[in-house]
Amino acid sequence: MEDFVLELLKDSGADGWMVTDELRRGWEFYFIRRALDQNRVREVEHLGLTVYKKFSEDGKDFLGSASAQLPPTASRAEAQELIGALVEEAKLIRNPVYSLNPPRGDAGAAGEEIDLPAVAGDFLRAMQSVEESAEADVNSYEIFTDSVTRRIVSSTGIDRTAVFPASMIEVVVNARREGHEIELYRMYRSGSCDAAGLKAEVESTLRIGRDKLRAVKTPALGKCDVVFSTADAIQIYDYFIDRMDAGMVFQGISDWKCGERVAPDEGGDAVTVRALRTLENSSYNCPFDGEGAPRRDLTIIEDGVAKSYYGRRMFAQYLGLEDSFDPGNFAVDGGSESAAALRTGRYLEIVEFSDFQVEASDGEIAGEIRLGYLHDGDTVTVVEGGSVSGTMREFAATMRLSKERRQYNNYLIPAVTRLRGVTVTGAED
Amino acid sequence: MKAVFSPYLDAIAPGLKQLAALLGEKYDYVSVLSTDSVGFAVSISQRAKAVNHSTMTTERGSVVRVCRGGLYSEYAFNRFDPAHPERTAAEAERALEEQFALLRATDSAVYETPVLPDEPCVLREEMETGSMPEDCDLGALVERFTEISARGVAAGEHAIDCHVRGQSTHVCKLFLTAGRDMRQSYVYSEGMVAVIASKDGAVKFGFDSVSGREGPELFGKLDELAEKVAGIAEELLVAERIEPGEYEVIVSPEISGLIAHEAFGHGVEMDMFVKNRALGAQYIGKRVGSDLVTMHEGAKPEIEVASYAFDDEGTLAHDTVEIRNGILKTGVCDALSALRLGVEPTGNGKRENFEHKVYTRMTNTVFESGESTLEEMIATVKHGYLLRGMQSGMEDPKHWGIQCILDRGYEIRDGKLTGRIVSPIVMTGYVPELLGSISMLSRDHELFGSGFCGKGHKEWVKVSDGGPYMKAKARLG
Repeated sequence: MEDFVLELLKDSGADGWMVTDELRRGWEFYFIRRALDQNRVREVEHLGLTVYKKFSEDGKDFLGSASAQLPPTASRAEAQELIGALVEEAKLIRNPVYSLNPPRGDAGAAGEEIDLPAVAGDFLRAMQSVEESAEADVNSYEIFTDSVTRRIVSSTGIDRTAVFPASMIEVVVNARREGHEIELYRMYRSGSCDAAGLKAEVESTLRIGRDKLRAVKTPALGKCDVVFSTADAIQIYDYFIDRMDAGMVFQGISDWKCGERVAPDEGGDAVTVRALRTLENSSYNCPFDGEGAPRRDLTIIEDGVAKSYYGRRMFAQYLGLEDSFDPGNFAVDGGSESAAALRTGRYLEIVEFSDFQVEASDGEIAGEIRLGYLHDGDTVTVVEGGSVSGTMREFAATMRLSKERRQYNNYLIPAVTRLRGVTVTGAED
Repeated sequence: MKAVFSPYLDAIAPGLKQLAALLGEKYDYVSVLSTDSVGFAVSISQRAKAVNHSTMTTERGSVVRVCRGGLYSEYAFNRFDPAHPERTAAEAERALEEQFALLRATDSAVYETPVLPDEPCVLREEMETGSMPEDCDLGALVERFTEISARGVAAGEHAIDCHVRGQSTHVCKLFLTAGRDMRQSYVYSEGMVAVIASKDGAVKFGFDSVSGREGPELFGKLDELAEKVAGIAEELLVAERIEPGEYEVIVSPEISGLIAHEAFGHGVEMDMFVKNRALGAQYIGKRVGSDLVTMHEGAKPEIEVASYAFDDEGTLAHDTVEIRNGILKTGVCDALSALRLGVEPTGNGKRENFEHKVYTRMTNTVFESGESTLEEMIATVKHGYLLRGMQSGMEDPKHWGIQCILDRGYEIRDGKLTGRIVSPIVMTGYVPELLGSISMLSRDHELFGSGFCGKGHKEWVKVSDGGPYMKAKARLG
């Protein structure tokens, strides 16, 4: 960032300002089967500016804001013109007055530079080590590894910098038998590369792919218990997390109140959700949020009772929260029984959806089943097709969570989640 | 008025040409794509307001694509100094050489591809627009949105807020090779009104949107949506759950577009053919729908948010007929995939922005219209639903499954709407069965371009899709 950017902001007449300066170095590799399709490098800088302006109208006080990206090659004159325009535009935005984040906590060290060749090499070798067979193999994969340097500077005295890794790999696998071929899609996000975990995940997906070859159409099950044991379960816990977001509460989309139960107690496992400052190998381990507020551990829901809202500064202030923040990592406590105990009786375990969704506003769940295991006593039938529906407003009262937990990047959640009485529309005629 | 091309890109073009020439000494093929797209987004509700000059497609930066030994590589950057192109050339070479060293160390094999052709083309296309986002009076727009928001809340008995959002982007792109100098400038805009209604603990969103390759004058169309959307939110509050099963359905043009997009849009993106990820490759020339089904895809035939003069690889926009009278004719293709498959590219090579890779992507995907009226179509339904409003869709090109999550269904019995409403609805099925069941098409022709399309779960680009009302059979849950 050029020095004149801060000088111009200080002299702009704005009542507050914030700059986010993010440098990203990214290495990318795209493979078709085992051959490199393309390699790419990104070396970019993104400079985000927000200015704030106080004003009064009809006896009411407001704090407006306006934001823009400033190209890193912008001249002083270009920057001055943009900042001047933002100050004027901020006066158009009639948001009730709130205070900006003050500097809080120890800024700490920025962190060490990320060794991109080492991280990328781990990904390349991990994928090369995946054991394939004639029946199931890797169709294609895309590796993305980033080194992120994020600095936030504000008019209130915040000046913090963090360096952290952010990686992603997309993997498509095929399985085939007697001329019939199927595909499964996976995307894994992390800080750097967990080579052993990635190899195990992909090889597990290859096994699931072989199962899909013998799938039959899902019968119309009516109401059925459904077990979630993949990253799709994150959507279930996001329902609880999102409804505690100060923005959702202030805007009336969530009516949850601190000190009250978030679901009736009808024999299920009560949910406990926490924000975590750090989670091993998460790509969300930046110690401060997008407005410079320090991240910390925070209990959001405890034993099914709403404890603490969280969120961006404006909405948090409107709810009277002084030291809130926008978390990066979340953990959900395990439940009362083991994963094995939750996998008993009659249930459908769905391991592949087209796109499983839970709507935070009303709890409605929806998703097309691409692969499931229908368990009925000792009988297991591999099924595909059909869909699930229902609402978390009902499921939350009786849902069961396993003691064991599993991490998906920035979420640490029960390894197995069982929802009771889900409507399962079959694919059979 | 013309959308004037970026003076910034004109100014740095000579430097970029020198950069391409310098890299051309080391590589078999070099292209440069540079972008300078500006815009704004204004969001107003009763409880929160914002103005931002970033939209999903505002950007300024460049990417060079090079090829050597059959391997294509790219370097994306946004700190270019046109007075010193040699510095960027050296940085690109250094960065890529580091990667090549790692690839050698890991014995990574290369998917060899021929060198892209570079037929000469000089183009400067400044498209028509009613107004420019740079000239928009944001103060007046904030007042207009504030008034619409207030009307939306007043119009619904249970409304608690009304969100109004508009964003407009002036897109400028420059594509250079040794033989090509292509420059395009156009404006597109999109807006939406959403009313939030709450009753007995349930919260529902009524929603509608507008879009077009137009300037901020488009937002005048939002004025008429406040009361309509408030009514939708009230309907959703009283909606019942659908009894799962197979029904006769009439889908609105918006949902026809979603089906076009998910069913055979993604299914014939031919970079998926290269990876053997699409069943469509085996069905060229075969029946995949009823005789009524004809589907176009391309940036050329329609004027909507995904209409442009050339794609991000410098291929001119096309009008591709993918399905004619139920027979799958062809797919759409980016330039590299076309080389690998031995076909012609169709102008569908798109990037999320200059930092992202090119994939084969959709532009405007549209079913042709028919001869019926909506009333005639409803009259033929014994028991089924008129489906309106979309929430999301998901493709499955390998197996031709389809998932569409829809907003609401209006029950039809014995040819008449009963007044009963169901929501939400998950429509699933097997694509050839769904398209094969299409038995009536209306005369309508509407496109919708307010959303973004991902490839897998990333790579978001602007698309539009649409068509007429269509009557079919579908599984609803």
